[in-house]
Amino acid sequence: MVETTALHEVNFKVSKGEFVAIMGPSGCGKSTLLNILGLLDSSDSGEYYFEGIDVSGFGERQRTNLRKGNIGFIFQSFNLIDELTIFENVELPLLAMKVPPAKRKARVEDILDQMRIGHRKSHFPRQLSGGQQQRAAIARALITAPKLILADEPTGNLDSSNGEQVMQLMEEMNTAGTTIVMVTHSINHAERAHRIVNLFDGHLVIERSEKVFESINRVV
Amino acid sequence: MIRQSIYILLRRIARDKVLYFIILTNLAVGFAAFVVLSTFISDQFNYDKQNTKYDRIYRLQLFMDQKENTVKHTWSVTAALSRKNLVDLPEIEKIALIHDVGDNNKSGVFLSVDKKNQFLTRFGYYADQSVFDIFTFRFIEGDQANALVQPFSIVLSKEVADRLFPGGNAVGKQVYGENKVVFNVTGVYEDLPIKSSWRPVYILPMLSYKAITGNQNYESNYWSYAFYTYVLLKPNAGSASVDTKIYNALKDYRKEHHPYLRPMSKLYIDPYFENSTYVIIGLITFLSALILILSSINFINLQTANATTRFREIGIKKTLGFNKKRLWNQFMTESVALTIIAAIIGLFMAQLAIPALNNMLGSETFSRTFENWKLLVVIFVVTLLTGLLSGLHPAYVISSYNPVAALKQKFISEKTNGISLKKTLVTIQFSISIFMLIVGFIIYRQTQFMLKKNLGFNSETVMFANIVTEQKGSLEPLRQKLLQHSEIKNVCASDYIPFILPGGDDLNWEGGKPDDKVFVRFSNVTYDFVPTFDLKMVDGRNFSKEFPADRNKCLINETATKVFGWKDPVGRRIKVFNKDYEVIGVVKDYVVFSVYSPIEPHLYRLAKDSIMNNGVYAVSFVSGQEKKAMEIVKTEFRNFFPNDAFDFRNMQFLTENENALRAWKGFSKIMTLTAIMTIIISSIGLFGLILFLTQRKMKEVGIRRVLGFSHASLYMTLSSEFIKLIFISVLLAWPAAYYVYHVLPAGANKYDLQIWEFVLATLLILVVAVATISYQIIKALCVRLVDILKDE
Repeated sequence: MVETTALHEVNFKVSKGEFVAIMGPSGCGKSTLLNILGLLDSSDSGEYYFEGIDVSGFGERQRTNLRKGNIGFIFQSFNLIDELTIFENVELPLLAMKVPPAKRKARVEDILDQMRIGHRKSHFPRQLSGGQQQRAAIARALITAPKLILADEPTGNLDSSNGEQVMQLMEEMNTAGTTIVMVTHSINHAERAHRIVNLFDGHLVIERSEKVFESINRVV
Repeated sequence: MIRQSIYILLRRIARDKVLYFIILTNLAVGFAAFVVLSTFISDQFNYDKQNTKYDRIYRLQLFMDQKENTVKHTWSVTAALSRKNLVDLPEIEKIALIHDVGDNNKSGVFLSVDKKNQFLTRFGYYADQSVFDIFTFRFIEGDQANALVQPFSIVLSKEVADRLFPGGNAVGKQVYGENKVVFNVTGVYEDLPIKSSWRPVYILPMLSYKAITGNQNYESNYWSYAFYTYVLLKPNAGSASVDTKIYNALKDYRKEHHPYLRPMSKLYIDPYFENSTYVIIGLITFLSALILILSSINFINLQTANATTRFREIGIKKTLGFNKKRLWNQFMTESVALTIIAAIIGLFMAQLAIPALNNMLGSETFSRTFENWKLLVVIFVVTLLTGLLSGLHPAYVISSYNPVAALKQKFISEKTNGISLKKTLVTIQFSISIFMLIVGFIIYRQTQFMLKKNLGFNSETVMFANIVTEQKGSLEPLRQKLLQHSEIKNVCASDYIPFILPGGDDLNWEGGKPDDKVFVRFSNVTYDFVPTFDLKMVDGRNFSKEFPADRNKCLINETATKVFGWKDPVGRRIKVFNKDYEVIGVVKDYVVFSVYSPIEPHLYRLAKDSIMNNGVYAVSFVSGQEKKAMEIVKTEFRNFFPNDAFDFRNMQFLTENENALRAWKGFSKIMTLTAIMTIIISSIGLFGLILFLTQRKMKEVGIRRVLGFSHASLYMTLSSEFIKLIFISVLLAWPAAYYVYHVLPAGANKYDLQIWEFVLATLLILVVAVATISYQIIKALCVRLVDILKDE
C-alpha cells in the first residue's frame, strides 16, 4: 500500500467566535483537516490544541467524550438516519449525553421550531425536502449548543435559495457566539466567513482575512 | 435507548421485509426444531411423574450374575421375596405384589358385562390394596381406600369402564372374566398417563389370585419368577441397605441372584444399567443443539451482512459522541429482541406441529411444551444465550466501525490475515449440515435393516390366537379339518410363539460343572410347531409321531449348543425340573423376541396334550389368501372351542409392535424430520451468506468484467472458495458421523455402513450450495456494469 500524506505542515489557528471557511480543490485535504478538527481522525504527527489542551494524544474514549456536546457536525449529505424520525434524529446528541427525557423533548421541540420544521418532527428524513433535511441536520448540530461547528460543504447538495437559508442560519449561529469552520467550494459562501483558508495539496497556501480584524476586535 | 433500539429494529423490519423474513424464518425454524426435540427429550425423563411419591417408589429387580446368560437383569421376581423377606425391613413403608391377569405378554383376557359382548383386554393386573398407597390413582367412582380388600372385586380404568358401562355408574355392577369368573366393580379411576412405566387398565385383588389361578403356594415359592414387586420407602430411607438385607435373605436359595431396588426415575429410561437409551437421548440432544447452532451461525452471518447497510447510522452516532459500549448495547438488544421474536414464533410452530408429529409417530410421543414449565424456562434461557452469543460478532463488527469511513460508506473489510471468522463459521455450517444428513441416513438405514431383517421364521403368513380353555384332548381333529382347505398350510399349538417371550429356568447341562447354570427359556410345542413357523433344523430331526419316545426328548436352538459348548449336541442330556431330556435336534436360531436383544438359549419339549389350557394356536396359510384363511380359521375354531373367546391376528402385528423396533421407527422419523429441518436451515443460511459475500464482491466482479474476464472464469473465482470450504467440512463431518455409527446402540443387529451414504449426504449439501452460489453469481453477472461502478 502506498501511503499518502493528506496534510503536511499545516499550522492553523481558529479563535473562539471565528467563522472560518476552508477552500481548495478536490483531494487537497479539506475533509481530513475537518476530521482532525472534529476529533474523528487523528494526525500522525503534530499537535492539536482544543481550548488550550493538547488533544492529539487522546484515545478513542477521550475523543468521544470531548466531541460529545462540544462539537457539532453538518454534512453535505445531511447524514440523517433513515430509520429515525426528524425528532429522534435531532434528539440523538442529547441521548448520547444522557439528558433526561423531559428536557430532551423541550429542547428538541424548541430547536425544531427555530429551524421552522417543528411541524415535520414525526416525519422520516426521506419525506422531507433537501432544505428541510439540512435544517434538521443543523438542528441536530446545534441542539447541544456546541462550542465549535464543523460544516463539510453544508450547501453542496442544496439549490441556491435553500443554500442561502442555510448560510443565514450559520451566520446567526456565529453571531450567537458559536465558532464555525466550514468547508466549501462556493466562493460566495466562503466570503461570508471572517477568514478563508486555502489548501492545496496538503499545504496551507493563503489566508485571506478581510473581516479578520473586525472579528478579532469583537471577540478579544 | 433500548426503546429507540427497538424502534429502529421494527422500522428496519418494516422496510426490509425479505431480509428479516429470512432472518426470522431461519431462527424460528431452528427454535421449532429445538423445541420439538427438547420436548421429546424432556418427555423421556418425565415418565411416572404423576406419582406424588415418585422419589420414594422403587421396583424390586434381580441381577443374575451368571456369565453365560445373555439376559442379566429381570424385574420378574418371586412372590416369596416380598411376602417373606421385605415385610420386616424397617426402611420400607409399603409393599405391593403384582401379577399379570392371564398373560399380558400373549394377548390378554376377555371381559364382558353380559357374557356375550366380550372384548379382549390387555394389561390387567392382580395387585395388593397397597398399590393405591404407592402409586397415585385418581378415583372417579368408588372408595380408593378399600377398593381391593374384598375378594373378586375389580377396579376399572375409565377407558375400560366406558367400554363396559357406557352409561357410567359402574360401581356395584358385575363384570365377567373369560365368562368364568364374576367380579364386582368397586372403583373406577382416571386412565393413567401414557407415560407410565406401569399402566394397568384394570386391577383385581391379589387375594383372589390363588382362587382364580389355583396357584396355592405362590407366597412361599422362591422359584417362580413371575411376580412384580413395588415398594414405597420411608422418607429419607436409602435403598442400598435394603438391597444388602434382601440379598442376605435370598442367598441360601440362589447366591448368584442379586435382588436390588431400582428407583422409579430409572424404570422407563434405564431399567437395567444399559446406556442405550442415554446414547439415543444424548444423540438427539446433540442434534438439537447442532440445529440451534446452525441457525445461530446463519443469524450471525446475516446480521453481520445486514450491518453493512447501516454505515450512516453508525457513523452519525459515533460522530455525535455515542461510545462503543452504547452502540454495542444497541446491537445486542437488537439481536436478543430478534431471537426472542423468533423463539416465540418457533414455540408456536412447534405446538402446531406436535399433534401432527404424534399422529405420524402413532403415539403420544410428544407432549405439549406449554405443560412443562421447566422446559419453558430452559427454552427461555437458551433463547437469551442464543441472542447474546449470536449478537457478539455483529455488535463487535458494527461498533468498531471507524466513523469517517462509515460515513463515507466505504466497505470496512475484514482482516484477511490468518483464518477469518467468517470462513470458520461457513466451515462449521457446512460440517454440521453434512454431519446431520449422514446421521439421518445412518438412522434410517439402521431402522430399515431391523424392519426388513430376516427374522428366521415365517412371520408373514401366520396368524395366531391365545385361547384359555378348559377343553382337553387332541387338537388333531381341528387340524385335519383346517387342512382340508387349500388356503391352510399347517396348524400347531404351543405355550409360546416367536415374539411372545417364554419363561425359563436356570439349568445344568451335560458336561457343565455342577455350579454352572444358565437361564434357558422353554416352551411346550406340538409336532407341527417347526413346520408351521418354517423353522430350519441344522442338526438332528424334528419331533415325530413315528417315535413315541419323543415325549422325553427335546429340541434346542443353536445358541444353546454354543452356550453349552457342545460340538455334537444330538444325544446329549439336559435336566429340566428334575427330569432328563435327550436332545434330538437343533433348530436354526431365529429372532425370538426382539431385534435388539441377543438370542437366548431355548429348549422345546413336546406338549403332553395338543389342546393346551393357555396355549397359543398358530395357523400358517398360503401367501395372498389371508382374508379367506382368516374366515376359515375363525369359523373352524369357533366350532371347535364354542365356549371360549379368542381373537386371531396376523403375526406381523407382533413383530411390528415389538418395543425395540417401535422405538427405532420413532427414532427414524424424528431423524427424518431433523434432516429436513437441517436442509431448510442450511439452505436459508447459504442463501443469506452467499448473498452477502457476492454483494461484497460486486465491485470486484464489475472491474474484472470491464477488464474482459469471461463469465466462466468469474464463476470459478467466486465459487472456488466455497467448494474449498466444503471439502474441509467433509474432513470434519465424516469422522464425526462415523463415530455416531460406532456408538449407535443397535445391539446385536447393526447394519453395515456404506460409503455412498456419506457421499450422497455430501452431494446433497453440495447441490444446495452450488445452486445458491450460481443463482447469486449469475445475478451479479447480469447487473449493468455502470450500475456497479458508479456505486462509490
